[in-house]
Amino acid sequence: MASAGFFQTVPAGQDTPFMQWKRGIAMQRWKQVAIAVLLIALVWLSAWRCEVHIATFVLGVNKGLPIVEMFFPPEWGDILGMLPALGVTTVMALIATIFGMIFSLPCALAASTNIAPKPVRLVMRCFIALERGLPEIVQLLLLIAIFGLGAIPGLLALCISSIGMLAKLLADGIEEIEPHMLEAVAGTGATSSQVVRYAVIPEILPALLAQGLFRFEFNVRAGVILGALGAGGIGYIMSTAMASLDYQRACMATLLTLALTFGTERVSDFLRSRVLRGGMLK
Amino acid sequence: MTLDVPASALPSRKLKLNVLYLLGIIAIIWLMFFSMGISASSFMVDFHFVWDLMEQMFPPHVSLLWTNRSLFISLVDTLSMAFLATIVGGGIALVIAFFAATNTTPHPIVRLASRTLLVMQRNIPSLIIILVLLLAVGIGPFAAVLTLTIGSVGLFGKLFADAIEQADKGIAESVLSVGSSHMQMVRYAILPQVMPSFVANLFYAFDVNLRAAIPLGVFGGGGIGFELAFANGLLHYKDVMAYTILIVLMITGMERLSDWARRSIITQPQLNTR
Repeated sequence: MASAGFFQTVPAGQDTPFMQWKRGIAMQRWKQVAIAVLLIALVWLSAWRCEVHIATFVLGVNKGLPIVEMFFPPEWGDILGMLPALGVTTVMALIATIFGMIFSLPCALAASTNIAPKPVRLVMRCFIALERGLPEIVQLLLLIAIFGLGAIPGLLALCISSIGMLAKLLADGIEEIEPHMLEAVAGTGATSSQVVRYAVIPEILPALLAQGLFRFEFNVRAGVILGALGAGGIGYIMSTAMASLDYQRACMATLLTLALTFGTERVSDFLRSRVLRGGMLK
Repeated sequence: MTLDVPASALPSRKLKLNVLYLLGIIAIIWLMFFSMGISASSFMVDFHFVWDLMEQMFPPHVSLLWTNRSLFISLVDTLSMAFLATIVGGGIALVIAFFAATNTTPHPIVRLASRTLLVMQRNIPSLIIILVLLLAVGIGPFAAVLTLTIGSVGLFGKLFADAIEQADKGIAESVLSVGSSHMQMVRYAILPQVMPSFVANLFYAFDVNLRAAIPLGVFGGGGIGFELAFANGLLHYKDVMAYTILIVLMITGMERLSDWARRSIITQPQLNTR
């Protein structure tokens, strides 16, 4: 069409395809300029709100370097005393991930269009949105008011937000399952629970495991922050050390946390690639 | 005397194995709970006390939403912290990602160095970064912005680098074959390919940063998290509930918005859906 139109005469009052193309390009240019202006305005506004000053930054670097120097050398003697706290953080994240994975499966089934009836689905979607919208920190503050300080509120907060995140991803995964698969299993006379067992679960199990591993990584990191706010573990040690100006102890805790997060990332990357290649489920 | 039981009536090997796995997992979970000193009874709390707390929380002081002007300012503060960190962090992450990807890096040593930098930035807990930065640049949103920026450079630098490594090699080779320089190859062959996933990941980064900005606010980064922790410290639970509702609305709304924007702007599927 385009090549034919190139040589044809164009009726008066109408543009050649070339002109149309050129105008399209110009429109796109304008759009880009508008987006750029909008972005710059937003950046300027938010920089003003956040009190960003280059001078503060330079001053901060000058002030910060001596502080960072105070962190070294780390206090190696504390390492044995900190290992149990490190274990608490790891176990907290692990239990939260396992329970999150277990509970997210029924939630995801109830939230997907092709499995659940509409009222159940709407209620479940709202529930999941609420779980996702509540930051762990808010949950933790409320749960501490109920359970008191300790690992339990941290565990529950991580667990609830894991359920929300995993259930949403899984529900999206379930909705993407081809209808033929469900029909084929249902066509053999399977009940709906058998359809779930033999058509849905094998399809989403790799995704569940992979996302669960990713979530474990995230939970370890979030667990450190929750620890500082009263859930115990290595985060609590870190924040108390910082508060008592014992920077070398804080440095030791940081190094241990670094080792932990790095290790979990490696392990979860390794396991995830195995799961996604299908090596683990066979 | 032995009983003759047909083999088909006995539990199969697979079933036995499954039961064994299940028991093993339950034992491990139980051991983990045991090691933390948590038993089932620790989840049993005095429900009368919970009920009291609920009475203190409800009804939430929703009127704060229109009487307390500073609430919206702190909400805007939180949003702008996340936004600024996303833009700046995303920009830095893109530059580092080009050094960290195998097919665009100028030199393998540069690649190793930038990968190590990304790993460091990703893994230093944000808690320690904000505690140091609060000392360095003072209490306020700026420290939180810097912390979020460092975190997003680490996380999204890795994602971008992986996306660049997955880019089509043929296009890069054909651009190089017409005599372009390394920079031109990156500009005309790689960048157009990774831009959609870059933009999609930026929206995702905004979501992540918005969620992360709230705990940082509690530690002195300002914004709505600070207001929430402040009200919680004063035991004003009705205010806490109102702030919580506001936070849920903000996060859910922003998530919807970024989902919608991602879907409408990006025609190409996102490379990394996690």
